[in-house]
Amino acid sequence: MPGPAADVTRLAAATKRLFEDLSDESVEASAAWTVAPSTMEEAALVLRAAADARMPTRFYGGGTHMDYGYRGDFELVVTTSRLNRVVDWQPEDLTVVVEAGVPISTLEETIGERNQTAVLPEAFGRATVGGVVAAGLSGYRRFRYGPTRDRVLQVGLAAGYGRVIAGGGPVVKSSTGYGVPRLATGSFGSLGLVGWVMLKLWSRPRATASIQIDEAAAAASTYRPLAVLETSEGSFLYLGGDPQQVTAEIASVDGEVRSGLHWPIPISNRIRLEFRVPPRLLRQAIDWAQRVDAARWIAEHGVGRVEAGVDAIEPKAIQAARAWAETNGGALIVASTHDPEIDPWGTPPVSIEIQRRIKQAFDPFSICNPGIFPGGL
Amino acid sequence: MIGYGLPHFPMTRASSVDDSSGVVARLIGVLGSERVHTHPLDLLVFGKDAGVTPGEAAVVVLPESTDEVAAVVRVATAAGVPVVARGAGTGLAGGAVPTSACVLVVLTRMNEIFEVDEVGRTAWVGAGLVNEALSNAVADHGLLFAPDPASQQTATIGGNVGTNAGGPHCLAEGSTIAHVLGMEVVTGDGEVMMVGGAAPDPLGYDLRGLFVGSEGTLGIVTRVLVRLVEVPPQLETMLISFVDVSDAARAVSEVIAEGVVPAALELMDGPMIEAVENFVHAGLPVGPGAVLLAEVSGHSVGVAADAALVREIAVLNGATEIRVARDEDDRALLWKGRKAAFGAIAQSAPDYYLNDTVVPRTRFVDVLDEIYAIAERYELRLLNLIHAGDGNFHPIVSYDAAEAGMTEKVIDATHEMVRAAVAAGGTLSGEHGIGIEKRDLMPEVFSADDLDAQERIRDAFDPLRLLNPGKVLPEGSRCLDRPPT
Ligand SMILES: Cc1cc2nc3c(=O)[nH]c(=O)nc-3n(C[C@H](O)[C@H](O)[C@H](O)COP(=O)(O)OP(=O)(O)OC[C@H]3O[C@@H](n4cnc5c(N)ncnc54)[C@H](O)[C@@H]3O)c2cc1C
Repeated sequence: MPGPAADVTRLAAATKRLFEDLSDESVEASAAWTVAPSTMEEAALVLRAAADARMPTRFYGGGTHMDYGYRGDFELVVTTSRLNRVVDWQPEDLTVVVEAGVPISTLEETIGERNQTAVLPEAFGRATVGGVVAAGLSGYRRFRYGPTRDRVLQVGLAAGYGRVIAGGGPVVKSSTGYGVPRLATGSFGSLGLVGWVMLKLWSRPRATASIQIDEAAAAASTYRPLAVLETSEGSFLYLGGDPQQVTAEIASVDGEVRSGLHWPIPISNRIRLEFRVPPRLLRQAIDWAQRVDAARWIAEHGVGRVEAGVDAIEPKAIQAARAWAETNGGALIVASTHDPEIDPWGTPPVSIEIQRRIKQAFDPFSICNPGIFPGGL
Repeated sequence: MIGYGLPHFPMTRASSVDDSSGVVARLIGVLGSERVHTHPLDLLVFGKDAGVTPGEAAVVVLPESTDEVAAVVRVATAAGVPVVARGAGTGLAGGAVPTSACVLVVLTRMNEIFEVDEVGRTAWVGAGLVNEALSNAVADHGLLFAPDPASQQTATIGGNVGTNAGGPHCLAEGSTIAHVLGMEVVTGDGEVMMVGGAAPDPLGYDLRGLFVGSEGTLGIVTRVLVRLVEVPPQLETMLISFVDVSDAARAVSEVIAEGVVPAALELMDGPMIEAVENFVHAGLPVGPGAVLLAEVSGHSVGVAADAALVREIAVLNGATEIRVARDEDDRALLWKGRKAAFGAIAQSAPDYYLNDTVVPRTRFVDVLDEIYAIAERYELRLLNLIHAGDGNFHPIVSYDAAEAGMTEKVIDATHEMVRAAVAAGGTLSGEHGIGIEKRDLMPEVFSADDLDAQERIRDAFDPLRLLNPGKVLPEGSRCLDRPPT
């Protein structure tokens, strides 16, 4: 468990100098030190020093998902604000190597020049590539293109034990060693700092349209739409492809059509609940969101994710819904609450013992985002 | 026989289990004597896969349930005997080939389809189910299992998970990793554990993602929850001929660069075409050039547009003939040549060595040229079968191992080809895995620190190193035992 506020006097002089040299004032963080390495080697040095001093360390990207997971007190914050380069974009290969601190908006703008997309979350705010990968977040278009983790081809990690490692392969298809990129994606910084990734890209469809439909089931007449969302504001079908194809598909569906992709406004209520259930149970999760009078909700058909926003909720209601989700092989995640009675993750996975050993192997002194991960890892 | 070549490869000989430890007797206690094999012939047959590395098992077992697999693992590991998982043994990298006396766990009897969810488009299947049997079983629902290795009539889903298998249609659909949602596994302690599941993004680390491609070194997969995809409403299949293989390669690069992702883009060079024609007479244009088998799928209108673009690019790059399949029979005929390729190679020479390596698609043309140059320098007969859309090469050297020094020469040449791919920014394997074959090449693509990190992962699952030892990671990868102080 993270200790009390940093006892800066205990830091070795060299460590203090390192932290001062790399100090980052652009981020408002409550920890004693905030540093921004600009290379992987610097990041590893910082983590080695933090491990030596047993300093609980938090990683900070765009700061959009800091409310996930268990809370903790941190003495050191490592930001990715100086790991901010689009290193190598190969438009003809549809791949890009990008550092963690690059905002999604910047990446999409860069590769948009050649009409490509990394298919990261659509409503990104200030989110960074590293933050999204570390949190394992996917956009709505995963319905067609699969989740983000399928597109992380390579990852560079400053591991909690203070070494720089890379995993995966610099190609779109590989069976070469263990899936380190898979392990890092969704690890919430618990193994180390995700410093860069190589992503597989897709071409943006030549034509797109958003259709407000009466019932999400109407989408069944289209082949692989980009997304089918059912929300508190209505149901929407998102189409993309060849212009003539999109025109033909629009003609086969009833509903109000807008050209382009108009995604829901992100949920920003005080408490955000996220069901992850087998897709066939989506209806029940939606019913629950309606029953608890969620201010807003967004359900992803064919994916099994329902996000709901509420301003207040009884912990008991969460427990019951979570029990249902977990019994069915899913989860209910609660973000942005500061109510200590509400568990953000719920029951840890049955593989927790192996998960613990992985954490131990990569972060032997438990300094990397300690305690925030499922199971308190 | 396909692929059981290279008899002169250095043999990894397993001494038989010293049954003073009573392992065989205890295994018989668990499975009965019919499903525990120690006959030397069985040990020899099951000691090989379809690749070039021979080995020998100590005892072969055929469990029929997860509980039996768990009991087998407990018996073996309690005695300190390694456990090697094996599906159909069609692997080409030696992943299922024992490197020491071991219990070889053959999963082919665990081939049940437990549950198909047509609405959620998933199925729970036994790890020993044959790949194609799954697609056949769900065809009536308009669904299929997308990974389609050329070995799909024999390879198992568990083996596909083990190697993260690919296939022609993995270009658009992704390899096995994109089609496995969860699995039941038996760990090194003989415990049964679930990883992943039908719900998206399960909590914690993505152990499912680690298991895929782990070649039996993290546990034994007993059941798999697979994702099924809709059979596309429309397909257009084209066989495009080129005078020069580089023209075909350039056309492929341009199609990808245009952002069109066809369902499949398979390339065969002249020598490959000739071997296929001699074998199946599929009507391929024999000559020095190359053929590109291109398939686009999806919505009927989109398919027409994409197919037109592929043709246009092909013509601009010197395509000499384009045959478009008119119906399903015609399509099957166009695919026939591609599917018969392995049989054709096996028939055309006493031995062959098929390699698997992958490069960034922008480097495709250059690396192909280099591969030809290497074969020429070594004076070897080279055939090429290429998953061109993802830059995944299968250079195949056909030869006669009875010729003195030939095997060594073939290995040297092949390693040079792999190095050429790595030098161009590629990696060791696109779909066959590392196994024994490429284990010692791992330092060519990973630093000592990178390999150490992979060893840490392995340790978390298998601290005793009893799960398929001697595979994937080279000896001594754990070089950083000291934590920082
Ligand atoms: C003619 C031919 C064509 C081929 N074409 C292709 C192709 O197009 N694409 C492609 O990717 N491959 C291809 N291959 C290679 C091979 O078929 C694949 O690697 C396949 O996935 C292996 O499946 P298998 O059941 O034979 O596994 P095996 O060879 O028995 O095992 C492969 C690996 O997986 C592990 N393993 C097997 N079962 C399990 C389990 N239940 N749990 C844990 N680990 C397990 C083994 O230990 C081993 O490391 C081809 C092979 C041949 C002979």
